[in-house]
Amino acid sequence: MTVAPERTTAGRGTQPVPPSAERLSWRDKLGRLDTKYTPYLIIAPFFVVFGVFGLYPLLFTAWVSLHEWQLIDGDQGFTGLDNYTELLSDKNFWNALGNTVSLFLLSTVPQLFAALGLAALLDRGLRGRAFWRAGVLLPNVISVAAVALVFAQLFGRDFGVVNALLGVVGIDPVDWRAETWASHLAISSMVMWRWTGYNALIYLAAMQSVPKDMCESAMLDGASRWRVFWSITVPSIRPTILFTVIVSTIGGMQLFVEPQLFDPGGTATGTGGDDRQFQTLVMYLYEKGFRLFDAGYSSAIAWVLFLLILVVAVVNFTVARRIASKG
Amino acid sequence: MSRTLVGRTTAITAVAMAATLVAACGGGGDAGDGGKVKLSIGVFSDFGYTDLIKEYQASHPNIEIEQRTVKMEQHHTQLATQLAGGRGAADIVAIEEGNIAQFRQSKDKFVNLADHGAKDLESQWAAWKWNQGTTDGGDFVLGLGTDMGSLALCYRRDLFQAAGLPTDREEVGKLWPTWDEYLEVADTFTRKTPNVKFADTAQNVYKAILDQTEEGYFAKSDDSFIADRNDKVKEAFTLAASLGEKKQTSALAPFSQDWNVALKQASFATTTCPAWALALIKAGAGDEAAGKWDVAAAPGGGGNWGGSFLAVPKQGKHPKEAYELARWLTAPEQQKRIFKETGNLPSEPAAYKDPEVTATTNEYFNSAPVGRIFGDSAENLKPTYRGTKDSKVTPVFNNALSRVESGKQSTSDAFDQALREARDAAK
Repeated sequence: MTVAPERTTAGRGTQPVPPSAERLSWRDKLGRLDTKYTPYLIIAPFFVVFGVFGLYPLLFTAWVSLHEWQLIDGDQGFTGLDNYTELLSDKNFWNALGNTVSLFLLSTVPQLFAALGLAALLDRGLRGRAFWRAGVLLPNVISVAAVALVFAQLFGRDFGVVNALLGVVGIDPVDWRAETWASHLAISSMVMWRWTGYNALIYLAAMQSVPKDMCESAMLDGASRWRVFWSITVPSIRPTILFTVIVSTIGGMQLFVEPQLFDPGGTATGTGGDDRQFQTLVMYLYEKGFRLFDAGYSSAIAWVLFLLILVVAVVNFTVARRIASKG
Repeated sequence: MSRTLVGRTTAITAVAMAATLVAACGGGGDAGDGGKVKLSIGVFSDFGYTDLIKEYQASHPNIEIEQRTVKMEQHHTQLATQLAGGRGAADIVAIEEGNIAQFRQSKDKFVNLADHGAKDLESQWAAWKWNQGTTDGGDFVLGLGTDMGSLALCYRRDLFQAAGLPTDREEVGKLWPTWDEYLEVADTFTRKTPNVKFADTAQNVYKAILDQTEEGYFAKSDDSFIADRNDKVKEAFTLAASLGEKKQTSALAPFSQDWNVALKQASFATTTCPAWALALIKAGAGDEAAGKWDVAAAPGGGGNWGGSFLAVPKQGKHPKEAYELARWLTAPEQQKRIFKETGNLPSEPAAYKDPEVTATTNEYFNSAPVGRIFGDSAENLKPTYRGTKDSKVTPVFNNALSRVESGKQSTSDAFDQALREARDAAK
């Protein structure tokens, strides 16, 4: 791969030689090539790495998804689109898709609003600013496994803290893993705990570039803080909000570790609850590929997931851009 | 930009790319220091090998051994991907009894230990244990047996006393010669102490009952799916589910974090215990429960649950040395020592019939004569047939029992749904 760009330079360099170029010293020629191609050379490693770890697996997965493919023994024969047609009539797939969307909405929407509020608070002159700003990022730094372990205990059915607190208010204990809505709430709370601070910091960075004089003049004109925030701050950081929405969407569609570790059966069953109450798409992919060893089907799920994310991202992007351009 | 800078950037790029390529292909290096043979052994939970490995290294100065330990379910998934990828597996890998059938299907990824003379060792093991580790009518030796599970029933003495039941382990064993009688004891117990659960989970009771039958989900003759025709499956399911219907279980996922907490809180009175589970109960219940748990014979006679094998993946560089080590680790002498250290029950008569083993008592479990209890149970053992897809079908039935326990489904609805899902999983 290293040689490739150089070869093209050599090829092109020989053809259109202007008469004056003959008088150019090789040093000048090299200088010209340098300014022209060095930037490509410098960004090349990214593309090489992307090719090896991104593009190649993507294409290979597509290839595998067209076969009956046992995880260990490999190719068992070409089946065309069979895996995909089976997938479309697979109840468990639609269930997983529904769960994924529900978990995504439940965790992302409140999360981004909370992040906005948090960022607005941090944007005001707080004492010990660095401490608070580092603090909100802390949940994101802690390993998911540790977070999941703690939350699994908090949401324990018999001895969990959440149920104990509910008991104080007189609410009956909830079986957090058996009820669909309860499990979704519990898992969303885990996702929110991890990502709210992270998004808040991104918003904060954007808010700091909002011209202060604009806010001040609005305040002088008698606008409330609330009004200033929604009419000046938020519209000014729309591109950033758009960015976080897209990133959260991609993350939400690929939700895996939190629900998987919330499942007491763990990877041994991988069904996300005893009736697939909180099995996400990636969990279903994992169950098919790594517990049932059906790599072909699993790859088909992976590709459908990829296309879904693509569609959702594009929709997101156009909707959000329309909103942004209105302001 | 000067020429030197061009040279430099090109060089840096080249180095960066070389680095990525090396990183991509790395991880395979071995041999090296002084021509020592490096062996790795991949296990889960505690096989009791740490001291034995040190000893083996001392007597074989040319061999260096690395032990890798991960959680059980992770271990088997990891092994599957390593076999698929053709690299990364340890030189010796442990495979659990419930999973070995599915790896038997991919036997060409493993060394046939018969090629290294494993067949001469056959008489060391209980016949059924040896057979589980072989395929092709015994011609292909996939794995050498380590421990076995056997089966007993653990109960809490103080909770039994509170319910007016006998506490002596012989008498307790006599309370439940069959599983029906076990359920009757459960009813008595619940009547007397309604706030304590009789068992931890219906899933374990179900597995214990099913493992006492000759065939489970798959036919011994041709490995075909028979769960929908085999009355034993429905019988075991219904028996176990009735505990759940009557809310006599704590409805826990076996060996989970919640299971540990419940042990500590003394919220259930009995649990099925294969030999290896003693260590888990002790760890979960903690020191303050010392002497409160005891071990009695299981209803329905003996049975087997768990136990593992050591296999040698073909991708390893030193199959001969790996075989030698696996042979040594599974020899009766070593199995005896492991039993004393970890409680993992030997799978070889020479070891489990040894007076040293049969005389072993477990202080934590009210000095129960575990050596004799598990040894006896091992003697009467009729192993159940495990189909190639057993490990795929099992979770489906466990989920179904969990739904009955949480009151979401009736026993028959849960069973019907499980059969449907199992048929899919066994396809």
